[in-house]
Amino acid sequence: MFLQLSISGLSQGAIYALVALSLTVVYRSTTIVNFGHGDFVMAGAFVSYVLTVMLGIAFLPAAVLSVLALFILGLCFSRGLIRPIRGGPHIGFALMCIAVGFVMRGIARIVWGREVLPMPSVFDMPPIFLGNLIITGDAIFIIGTTAVLLIAFFAVLALTDVGKMVQAVYQSQRGAQLIGINVDRFNDVTWGVGAALGAVGGILIAPVSLLHPDIGASFLIKGFAAMTLGGFGSLHGAVIGALLLGVAEQYAGAYINTALIDITAYLVIVIVLLVRPHGLFGRKSVVKV
Amino acid sequence: MHDPLMTICDLHVAYGKKPILRGATFDVLPGECLTLLGANGSGKSTSLNAICGFVRPASGSISMDGAELAGLAPHEIFQHGVAQVSQKRDLFPDLTVADNLRLGAMRRGGKAAAQTLEQIYARFPRLAERRNQATRTLSGGEQQMVAIGRALMSGPRLLLLDEPSGGLSPEFCEEIAQLMDGLKSDGVTMLMVEQNLKLAFRAADRFIVLRDGLVVDGGDVKAMEGNHDAIIKNIYL
Repeated sequence: MFLQLSISGLSQGAIYALVALSLTVVYRSTTIVNFGHGDFVMAGAFVSYVLTVMLGIAFLPAAVLSVLALFILGLCFSRGLIRPIRGGPHIGFALMCIAVGFVMRGIARIVWGREVLPMPSVFDMPPIFLGNLIITGDAIFIIGTTAVLLIAFFAVLALTDVGKMVQAVYQSQRGAQLIGINVDRFNDVTWGVGAALGAVGGILIAPVSLLHPDIGASFLIKGFAAMTLGGFGSLHGAVIGALLLGVAEQYAGAYINTALIDITAYLVIVIVLLVRPHGLFGRKSVVKV
Repeated sequence: MHDPLMTICDLHVAYGKKPILRGATFDVLPGECLTLLGANGSGKSTSLNAICGFVRPASGSISMDGAELAGLAPHEIFQHGVAQVSQKRDLFPDLTVADNLRLGAMRRGGKAAAQTLEQIYARFPRLAERRNQATRTLSGGEQQMVAIGRALMSGPRLLLLDEPSGGLSPEFCEEIAQLMDGLKSDGVTMLMVEQNLKLAFRAADRFIVLRDGLVVDGGDVKAMEGNHDAIIKNIYL
């Protein structure tokens, strides 16, 4: 049972990891917490639903198109709505994110109402039995896709010139400008990448869950919990925090009470902020006096 | 007399409603080291930040070889060959010395950048020894070397130095002065803001005194040799 719960937790945690990582990517470069990010996740899932179910496009090309669409949406969001309010109060960014998120959710409600929509299973393969352990095709697909994406992401970041440039902007925006980086354009692309990564999470969850316009809200809070646990601003912390949250939910639900699944993320936020505010991998902020 | 490399004309800069530069006008000649002197708040660092695009001038002109730089974004000004070593250095603390330096040459070809990197290591042997160390682990003086090296990696036509001796020991100030001598002999044009007047007079060819955002004095450092007290009086009194 323990192993079975761990596999389920990792599968769920993989989705959280994409959401938390995409939130962190935007946060690191812009210091903006995207409170509307759950709705970008929802939008990714719905775009893939439209393409696969309504237009009959195969899942993989539809997924690629959905990611591309969300990349463009994120980029336009930054260019058209975040850049013009730069220099204003920081809370303005948060309110803009929330407002745009609700607009997207409202559009989804206008089109589909509040009904839940089934998405066909992507990996219609029989489950793998390893003794008592059952690994479903969906779990393999979600964990495998996320693992490949995360390895590619961190490899680019650590090993390529583009990755060094990204790290440079994360560490000093002024320093990045001093070496000729167009930081405004970089931030636009970052919003695009953040929205695209979130969309991947939505696309992966769509076939194993029922779609509805409010689906993003729960992922947003899971993303925040993973970021808190991993340490705000830590990219690898967000991923590890998300995987730990995924398995913690499963263990808490199975060994203590199923009602705990829904509140584990909130408990994690409360406990981490009280006990270790900088999370597992975040840096303690030091104020020199 | 050479044509100026850069001409700053009637430059006005304000932070909110508070004017800092009120019509500053001066030239930077090719191959020289020009130092901006002045009391705190006179507009020295603001001049550098306006040239680099970090603050937008309210009016006036900053021209370099006929190109108008006033109002451009920092990355666009960098493309014109203006590099700055800022007061806070603005390094990338978690990246290695080698990465910090290489990033300075992003706009250049790989071969030219590799050649310049070797020149930087030859100029700063301590950086060569620490090339794989994260810059946050270096001393203040070594970090200043990285900041100067990173700016030089772009092959700048004009190097701006904002308080290069800030927070450094007297021994390291002398190292900075020697480094600037070397840069001058290599033909690098420099515009420097420096509170340490000993270093300023030691390294600069010309000086300009700013007071309340206006140029009130200026001249040849060598011609004023032995009469630095007059310059100091002009700055502070």
